[in-house]
Amino acid sequence: MNAVRIAWRITRLNFRAQLEYRSEFLLMIAIGAVWQVSVIVFATVLLTRFTGMGGWDSSEVLLIPATRMLAHAIFVLFLGRMHGIGRIIQEGMIDTYLVRPMPVFRQVQLSYFPTNAIGDLTVAVGLMVGALSRSDLDWTAGRITYLVVCVLGGMLLEAALFTAVACASLRFPAADYWGRWLEELLGTFGSYPLNVLPRAVSGFLTFGLPLAFVAYFPAAVLTGHGHDTGVPYWLAAASPLLGLAAFLGARLLWRWSLGHYTGVNG
Amino acid sequence: MAVLHAWRSARVTPLGELYAPPRVTAALIRLTVQVVLVASLWNGLYQQTGTTAGLDREQAVTYAVMAVLASRLRELDQYAGRDTVLQHMHFGTIVYWYLRPLAPQRYYALRALGEQLYGFAWALAGLALCLAAGVVRPPGSAAVAGVFALSLLLGQLVLYYVMLVIDQLCFWTLRNGAAMLILVFAQNLLSGVYAPLWFFPDWFITLSSFLPFQATLSVPLSLYVGRIPLSDAAFQLCVQACWVLVLALFTRFLWRRAALRVVSQGG
Repeated sequence: MNAVRIAWRITRLNFRAQLEYRSEFLLMIAIGAVWQVSVIVFATVLLTRFTGMGGWDSSEVLLIPATRMLAHAIFVLFLGRMHGIGRIIQEGMIDTYLVRPMPVFRQVQLSYFPTNAIGDLTVAVGLMVGALSRSDLDWTAGRITYLVVCVLGGMLLEAALFTAVACASLRFPAADYWGRWLEELLGTFGSYPLNVLPRAVSGFLTFGLPLAFVAYFPAAVLTGHGHDTGVPYWLAAASPLLGLAAFLGARLLWRWSLGHYTGVNG
Repeated sequence: MAVLHAWRSARVTPLGELYAPPRVTAALIRLTVQVVLVASLWNGLYQQTGTTAGLDREQAVTYAVMAVLASRLRELDQYAGRDTVLQHMHFGTIVYWYLRPLAPQRYYALRALGEQLYGFAWALAGLALCLAAGVVRPPGSAAVAGVFALSLLLGQLVLYYVMLVIDQLCFWTLRNGAAMLILVFAQNLLSGVYAPLWFFPDWFITLSSFLPFQATLSVPLSLYVGRIPLSDAAFQLCVQACWVLVLALFTRFLWRRAALRVVSQGG
């Protein structure tokens, strides 16, 4: 309880700190929104020009970017500071975190308030509402619950991927570069049915870099395309569980990496 | 002597890259995978479609792959070297730019030139490999290749000036992180990095024609793939040249105004 209270107080302070530069604060909200809009634009252009993509109709495809973007927005809000941790390591701030009486992971998350998450979340919720209103599916309590669980699973999976990159950054600060690419890949290739890609490429995006589990598989299960994804149905349906397992694994990796971290002072 | 100094300034960021092999390896892997993914995506999308928005499959793949290669032209991480205008403004070290025997605008231009040449070497090597592998198709004629090269040069100049304006913003706002991200977004969207501009609605294409971004990438690539015919090339090159001129004058004005705002410690 005490930890939650401290986290809340720090978050409030961080929020006030962000307000110090008002124009930057407003621009950061805008950037969160426009970044998400870029994903919508890309998906919309593809949907308009290439109808019936991968055997999915446009309302079904829309559920993929909606799920991914909502998962991403929640990730940015709660766990997004793992992305860009290379700077914290390069500037030696991680050494300070190590001697404070709070877990380093939590300190990283509380290092600043992610203003852009406000914009991210606003656009993502808007897109999800739009996708659900256009959907012809019967949104039963079970389906809605599964969708909520999938969004949370997607967030955890994204957090796991960025935590893994952060672990590499502890050893090689330049590894932060991979984080930027990862974000780009998730935005570009995580928003439409992967069955339009050759099998080897979709296989890479499933088992090499598991972005198919963030939104594509959950949306496939929800819209009845779960048997055409190229993986067993149960695996596609278990996407949220995979997200949870990946995040727990990433946290273990983080703990191990932190134990082996060597700062400039040895 | 001036050439030697210019060479030393221009090579700073590329040397920083070459001294960090993991970064170079990462860039190589990223570029390769991105090219494969993008080519696969557009080939996959065109499987059930013929020509759309005036682009056939080969043109769309060539455009998309070359957009990925062009993204290498200015992607170096100056931040790691603590030499961005943002960092200098934050730490107060911007004053040193005004104390050296090299004008800040010249130093900035030389650094950018070095980065762009280094990035150009990457893009050129990537293009040669993609041409050899048949991923992209060669230009239609020698004239198309020549016009493309000229248009790409003008496009890079426009991109340089646009990024300079955002950096110069720091002299007034101290921070430009959000503005830079918005610029990256606008640049990617309006220059056709996300998807060729030809796929967008007419109103969007009209809107983007009033902005400098499409001059950076969309015009050169459209000339290369033949979506803009050679007969229209002169007009497009003139538009690009106008953007270069307008932005050059504007940034020159901003450099002068910025110099008045720099105060060294103690006044």
